[in-house]
Amino acid sequence: MRNRCVGPAIALAAALAFLAVARAQSDRAGAAKANANAAAFDVHDFTGIWNPAPFMQPKGEVNPLDLGGHPNPLPPFTPAGEAKYLANAKFIAAGAVLDCDPFGVSRNFFTPRPFEILVTRDRLVQHFEYYDNWREIWTDGRKIPTDVDPEYMGYSTGHWDGDTFVVDSAAYNGKAFLTWQGFPISESMHQTERWQRMDADTLKIVFTFDDAKNYTKPWSITGFWKLRKDWVLDAHPCTLSAIKEYDDRVNHADKLPGLGYGEPEKK
Amino acid sequence: MEGRISRNSAKGCDVKIKLIKSFGFFAGLLIVCVPIFAHHGGSDYDIQHPITLKGTVTEFYWSNPHCQVFLDVKDDGGKVVNWTIETLAPAVLKRAGWSRETLHTGNQISITFVPSKKGTPVGMLRKVVLPDGSELTGGSLGEQPSQ
Repeated sequence: MRNRCVGPAIALAAALAFLAVARAQSDRAGAAKANANAAAFDVHDFTGIWNPAPFMQPKGEVNPLDLGGHPNPLPPFTPAGEAKYLANAKFIAAGAVLDCDPFGVSRNFFTPRPFEILVTRDRLVQHFEYYDNWREIWTDGRKIPTDVDPEYMGYSTGHWDGDTFVVDSAAYNGKAFLTWQGFPISESMHQTERWQRMDADTLKIVFTFDDAKNYTKPWSITGFWKLRKDWVLDAHPCTLSAIKEYDDRVNHADKLPGLGYGEPEKK
Repeated sequence: MEGRISRNSAKGCDVKIKLIKSFGFFAGLLIVCVPIFAHHGGSDYDIQHPITLKGTVTEFYWSNPHCQVFLDVKDDGGKVVNWTIETLAPAVLKRAGWSRETLHTGNQISITFVPSKKGTPVGMLRKVVLPDGSELTGGSLGEQPSQ
């Protein structure tokens, strides 16, 4: 009986030894691969051109690119916030967004066009291709001044929390929209962003909007961007003359004759 | 008077319209194109029913916010309709392989677009087949899942 057990016991021991060796080799290979990836980028370096990857947004969040009229779910509006949203949505649906006003920070992020990040001694600077908007994030340790004039792009400061770049912004003028749907911003909104470089090519930012005038509680959107090392930004300023020219050439061509566009109404 | 033609003459081109059978490519593109459709007002496109026409370029206008291709298309009755096909911005077209020299007046091309819901000869570009047979898409907004 004892002799019959010796063979299987040896085989089992050999198998376990083989698995242990294989596991160790696999761990070493994985570690080497992880080290190679880690060496390929610096988690504290965001410089470069980043193109949005809206398909990566987690399901169930407010979709900042959904213009179908039924984003699911909607933000937690206050009654006043919902009224502003409905008015803004009506304004957008009427095609009234032609005035080249700056988009503000979050709507710039959620426009499906790239932005470039430049880093200086005391600032991280974002250049948004669409409409040529610029944003400064101060990284010299300062706080948001209490007496700063409100602006479309607000006032932003940033600091590192380990491998996460934390951006605080306020001093918004309340005239821009948070997203393309027309979610409102009040002058008292405080926006927090947590930036993380997930890998060599992926930037993740979690935005949290704290605006008690328009929303019953802070709420968040997660965005992703992909690094485009071979791209340069193109010129795309918003100019009233270009918008008017486009409107004359395309939108007026899209009106049926006799409705007051392009041709006089036929009697 | 380009593009300012009657609804009937626009509909006259329907006989030459070939419905695109494969929507897979367009679906992903259209999802992210929605904001741009809306941001300059006017046009409202039937994104579920892209069509393809063959015709002669009468003008290629390279400009922000959107470029435009004007195209003469002859219907079965011999009547010529001038279509206005807008594109995305030059920046987006460049990344899709276009330049301001891609099209010239007189070029014979095949063009796929989503038409205006208003029945006017206006559309938003999806794809073009150039005189040499090569194809260019209208570009994409944002990264696509396959990339």
